[in-house]
Amino acid sequence: MELSDANLQTLTEYLKKTLDPDPAIRRPAEKFLESVEGSQNYPLLLLTLLEKSQENVIKVCASVTFKNYIKRNWRIVEDEPNKICESDRIAIKANIVPLMLSSPEQIQKQLSDAISIIGREDFPQKWPDLLTEMVNRFQSGDFHVINGVLRTAHSLFKRYRHEFKSNELWTEIKLVLDAFALPLTNLFKATIELCSTHANDASALKVLFSSLILIAKLFYSLNFQDLPEFFEDNMETWMTNFHSLLTLDNKLLQTDDEEEAGLLELLKSQICDNAALYAQKYDEEFQPYLPRFVTAIWNLLVTTGQEVKYDLLVSNAIQFLASVCERPHYKHLFEDQNTLTSICEKVIVPNMEFRAADEEAFEDNSEEYIRRDLEGSDIDTRRRAACDLVRGLCKFFEGPVTGIFSGYVNSMLQEYAKNPSVNWKHKDAAIYLVTSLASKAQTQKHGITQANELVNLTEFFVNHIQPDLKSATVNEFPVLKADGIKYIMIFRNQVPKEQLLVSIPLLINHLQAESIVVHTYAAHALERLFTMRGTNNATLITAAEMAPFVEVLLTNLFKALTLPGSSENEYIMKAIMRSFSLLQESIIPYMPSVITQLTQKLLAVSKNPSKPHFNHYMFESICLSIRITCKANPEAVGSFEEALFLVFTEILQNDVQEFIPYVFQVMSLLLEMHKNEIPSSYMALFPHLLQPVLWERTGNIPPLVRLLQAYLERGASTIASAAADKIPGLLGVFQKLIASKANDHQGFYLLNSIIEHMPPESVDQYRKQIFILLFQRLQNSKTTKFIKSFLVFVNLYCVRYGALALQEIFDSIQPKMFGMVLEKIIIPEIQKVSGQVEKKICAVGITKILTECPPMMDTEYTKLWIPLLQALIGLFELPEDDTIPDEEHFIDIEDTPGYQTAFSQLAFAGKKEHDPVGQMVNNPRIHLAQSLHKLSTACPGRVLSMLSTSLNAEALQYLQGYLQAASVSLL
Amino acid sequence: VRKHSQHMKLFKNKGKDETSLRRQRVEVSIELRKAKKDEQILKRRNISIHVKEENPTLGQGRSFEIIQPSLEEIMEAVNGDDTELQLLATQAARRLLSRHRDPPINQIIELGIIPRMVEFLGRADNAGLQFEAAWALTNIASGTSEHTRAVVEGGAIPAFISLLSSPHMHISEQSVWALGNIAGDGPLFRDALIARDVIPPLLALVSPATPIGFLRNITWTLSNLCRNKNPCPPLDAVKKILPVLIFLLQHEDKEVISDSCWAVSYLTDSCNDRIQVVVDTGILPRLVELMDSPDVNVVTPALRAVGNVVTGTDQQTQEAIDAGVLTVLPRLLRHTKPVIQKEAAWTLSNIAAGPCQQIQQIITCGLLPPLVELLSKGDFKAQKEAVWVVANFTTGGTVDQVVELVRSGVLKPLLNLLLAKDSKTILTILETISKLFMAAEKLGETEKLCLLVEELDGLEKIENLQNHENDMVYRAALDIIEKYFSGEEMTDLEPQTGQDGLYDFSVEKEDFNF
Repeated sequence: MELSDANLQTLTEYLKKTLDPDPAIRRPAEKFLESVEGSQNYPLLLLTLLEKSQENVIKVCASVTFKNYIKRNWRIVEDEPNKICESDRIAIKANIVPLMLSSPEQIQKQLSDAISIIGREDFPQKWPDLLTEMVNRFQSGDFHVINGVLRTAHSLFKRYRHEFKSNELWTEIKLVLDAFALPLTNLFKATIELCSTHANDASALKVLFSSLILIAKLFYSLNFQDLPEFFEDNMETWMTNFHSLLTLDNKLLQTDDEEEAGLLELLKSQICDNAALYAQKYDEEFQPYLPRFVTAIWNLLVTTGQEVKYDLLVSNAIQFLASVCERPHYKHLFEDQNTLTSICEKVIVPNMEFRAADEEAFEDNSEEYIRRDLEGSDIDTRRRAACDLVRGLCKFFEGPVTGIFSGYVNSMLQEYAKNPSVNWKHKDAAIYLVTSLASKAQTQKHGITQANELVNLTEFFVNHIQPDLKSATVNEFPVLKADGIKYIMIFRNQVPKEQLLVSIPLLINHLQAESIVVHTYAAHALERLFTMRGTNNATLITAAEMAPFVEVLLTNLFKALTLPGSSENEYIMKAIMRSFSLLQESIIPYMPSVITQLTQKLLAVSKNPSKPHFNHYMFESICLSIRITCKANPEAVGSFEEALFLVFTEILQNDVQEFIPYVFQVMSLLLEMHKNEIPSSYMALFPHLLQPVLWERTGNIPPLVRLLQAYLERGASTIASAAADKIPGLLGVFQKLIASKANDHQGFYLLNSIIEHMPPESVDQYRKQIFILLFQRLQNSKTTKFIKSFLVFVNLYCVRYGALALQEIFDSIQPKMFGMVLEKIIIPEIQKVSGQVEKKICAVGITKILTECPPMMDTEYTKLWIPLLQALIGLFELPEDDTIPDEEHFIDIEDTPGYQTAFSQLAFAGKKEHDPVGQMVNNPRIHLAQSLHKLSTACPGRVLSMLSTSLNAEALQYLQGYLQAASVSLL
Repeated sequence: VRKHSQHMKLFKNKGKDETSLRRQRVEVSIELRKAKKDEQILKRRNISIHVKEENPTLGQGRSFEIIQPSLEEIMEAVNGDDTELQLLATQAARRLLSRHRDPPINQIIELGIIPRMVEFLGRADNAGLQFEAAWALTNIASGTSEHTRAVVEGGAIPAFISLLSSPHMHISEQSVWALGNIAGDGPLFRDALIARDVIPPLLALVSPATPIGFLRNITWTLSNLCRNKNPCPPLDAVKKILPVLIFLLQHEDKEVISDSCWAVSYLTDSCNDRIQVVVDTGILPRLVELMDSPDVNVVTPALRAVGNVVTGTDQQTQEAIDAGVLTVLPRLLRHTKPVIQKEAAWTLSNIAAGPCQQIQQIITCGLLPPLVELLSKGDFKAQKEAVWVVANFTTGGTVDQVVELVRSGVLKPLLNLLLAKDSKTILTILETISKLFMAAEKLGETEKLCLLVEELDGLEKIENLQNHENDMVYRAALDIIEKYFSGEEMTDLEPQTGQDGLYDFSVEKEDFNF
């Protein structure tokens, strides 16, 4: 494309079209521009247009198009063609800076962005004169131009704040410092002087302060990696001026806006950051200036108002003080009692106050309020910063600070007592202060774990928290009630148990409060109390202690779910689950009403499931209801089925994907409760469970496998007789699962159940195919997980069908197959098997191969006999896995290992571990000894001679131990 | 990767990953900071005045009213034939070059009188002239590299070397000084001196009778002959100097000891073979003893020397440990000077990069408490090094040792440093936390560690780092959160198409061979 008027005209027309709201016009124009952007001169045409076009809209459009063009094309990617020709690149770099600086702001911003994109690639090597060109403009005196330069510099240099040190990076920074540091410093001084000469000119001040903010930002970037020599030498200039800017105020710069921070706040915030950077990294050099900054920042805090627009400045400033006061060598700055008092009084207390904005959130946006207050997403808030400062000060001055605050707490409480309805915020601040003073360490799971010993938490609790909660009116002063409940919650490990027991009825009572925050906190507090551990790892609060409150607890919990705003409140549902789990059989009398309410809730939320945690705890509660009731009365399973199946059917029919995995788990639980033959209602469903569409969803697989296992356990013979035509479909599911590396273990669960429970004749015709399939996986993509499952299955098969049958079926697939599997898979890999039951199955299976498989004694397989025995002894002598005790009461959704969006394992639908060889073999070592004894009796001398010639000494020693324990000897 | 990356590969220990490697002291080609104040001085100007009184050639009447001639007059007189004027002019030049502020080195060089002054060095008949010329040239050589080069190019090297054996001690001493300035300029001139056989006559000057001031000068010049890398000084020169250095290290004068230590620190700031040459002299116990000196000018170079030794092989490090370095380090980690803290932590980080037996000795010698103190309240430079100690310790330590480390309270300050304004430090900490979790997993204590990290406000900090601008930092934080604090696990299933109705169970046989 030539740089001709005609082309400019064409381009103008197309640019105009790209602004057209009609896509039929816009799209082709965009397409056209894209098609010509590879042509030489295209970017130069755009630059010409953005400078010279008659229409402003075209100028802006050209500048945006130009920036996007640069973004897409400037970078030269290795092995890809250079998308912008060299002469265009040179021309762009030669013209863009003056063009940017002479353009109106709207266009300047686009060009400034473009410069930084180019700079990221070309600066400094391929754009050596950029810096000089920029620096020269500092002398222009035109702050429109200067701010353009500063903004561009900021976008070029800000990466110094986060990149790793490297020679390349530091070379660049050095170059920048050499060219830029001195002019920047001069500009800084000149700008400050101009600020005082124009102190009465609002519009000039605004421009000048924008420059100062950018200069302060550049200072931060240039000083980030290390303290440059230049800035060390000129620290006096910079710090003195920063310091005086911190103390500066000018009415003309104050803004009326309550929310948005003004220029003055932004500048001071950045200066706080700069001071914090120096204090953290260059302490040695910064030390002489630091005390001045501490005083200035503290004065700043004392004089800054409560408006939201100051929040960032205030929390930055407080964080600065918090980080300094922890350092041993600055201790003295804070040591003085007057200083401490003043900081406490004027900095900490005011910033802990409950503000109008907090009150608004408490009432109208309670979910957000709870998230911030309970879950600690309050990092940048003033309250949080004030809290951090308290903690910092407590490091050296715990005693004095506690003393000062005690005075405040008392006077605030007195204020409150004088007129509670007007002064309730004073009490809120008092409670907050006590909390922040007392808590040294905290976790979600356990609340406060380390407390300030100087604060008497129990006394405060008894005198100031309990009275509020004991008040007859649960809806009065909701904020204070929430504070009180939160106090119990977080100090639950510090307050003695008898006080917790006193609180329980109070908490139950507050489940009725109208305020969402209050009843949510009450439910959450109860739930947390119920998970506390007492002695012997049992719950601290026992079912017996809860006996008097069972009815009211259950009633209030379910009633709380009907309060406005809480119909799917996860904290309440979790409290229901935890209560069931704690109370156990004492909930049985209330079961008819409970299960009705739960099914109604289930029906209601299944229309539009939106709260995953609520749903999860709801299903857990259903499982608990079933388990607790059926444990006492197994016959009751029928009534649960009656109550639930209707809803379940609806969920399955409407394909409520979120709930289907849960439904399968509950059904498994119900089916396992049946002692007799499988009911026909379940059998009718069986073919549907094999539908491929169900198995395509990841989340369905574990619960469906679990359900099919329940079918096989309870109804294998029914399936064999009444649904024999479905067996290929069942094995098809197995094949589908085994084909996936992620789900193969699930396939093995299913296969193990089939082999264990199905009558042998019903699967006879498929057995060989099963092994062929497994061998294929083994050959093509074996993983450790697959091998472990495979070994367990092979040995289970051996236990069920006998070692000879195993050998025969292997060798019928391919000659010498049995030997190959032993040698290449079983012997080398058996030690990988983990899990007690799994190891036991393998031990029994291998024992059978060793002692009940004649080909092992008299064919070429004999050479594998000793290695196999040795592998078995190795399996025995590996350190045992520690079994995990029954901890399900304490379970949390976040702890569940399998928790994921697609499928959530229900802890209370848990399957008891099944040991298929449990009855047959108690101690597998003794079983080995006895089996060897039997073998040696059958062929005297053979076993002994094999052992003595080839078994290694260590293994032999273990073996002798087994024989002794079994009181047998070998012949 | 730290600035040491390219060197790491060379010094890589087998079986350890990059972060755990001993980190050599590598000269940074780029420095933003001011030149280090704790370094030994490279070149010195002689501005002392007391020598003037001893000057035997000064005429009686003149010594009281010195008339300073102009530069041109100096030039004329130096180039002239009048011996007395030569002396006076040289003396005047020397005086200009010795003044406290702004010595006119450039102007003197521009007079072109250097060759002539070098010539004066050879005037064995005129000790006064020799001395004044030597002094003036010393001060010219004390300037920039260009200044030094002017002196060397004037032919001063052989002249000064032969003056080492001058019968006049003050001349010999001034020559030692001048040679020190030339050697200090860099490896090129240093090796030029060595090639001219400067070492034997220099070493010959050292004897129990050498006056202390003279001995200090000799020691300093020797240290400059050991100084500088790329290349390091020739091996046979080093071997000649070392026995004398060992002798000087036993001296009672602090300055002599300090400069000898600096010399040793230069010799050890090199490859492992060179470290071995120093270790073989058996000097380590003395160096460790000196690390404990009350004089910071001795501690600094002694610590550097030992710190360099432990960048070497496991065996070399073991020798330093056997010499007692670990018993001295606790005090240095708590030193009031930040640079000493930093060097001490750097030294410890390299010991922690060793095998677990050496890590055990770190524990046994009680290094963990001062380490934790340093991490929590040391100067930032020292904290950064302390982070490396923890990182290396966690990489190479056994599970038990790592447990011991956590028990010592390292976690809290380590997590606090996640707020540091330095991406590399943050990344190193995150990597260390991952390793701690790996150890916890082996013990089945993952949950406990999770709680501990949360309790110490670490979780929140790690969560915030997921917003960090640096990509590697962000990824490392994300990785920890996903692995240990979310419990979520994604499976990717490869779906297989089923046939109509139910899945079809069928297989085709192939040949198996595992």
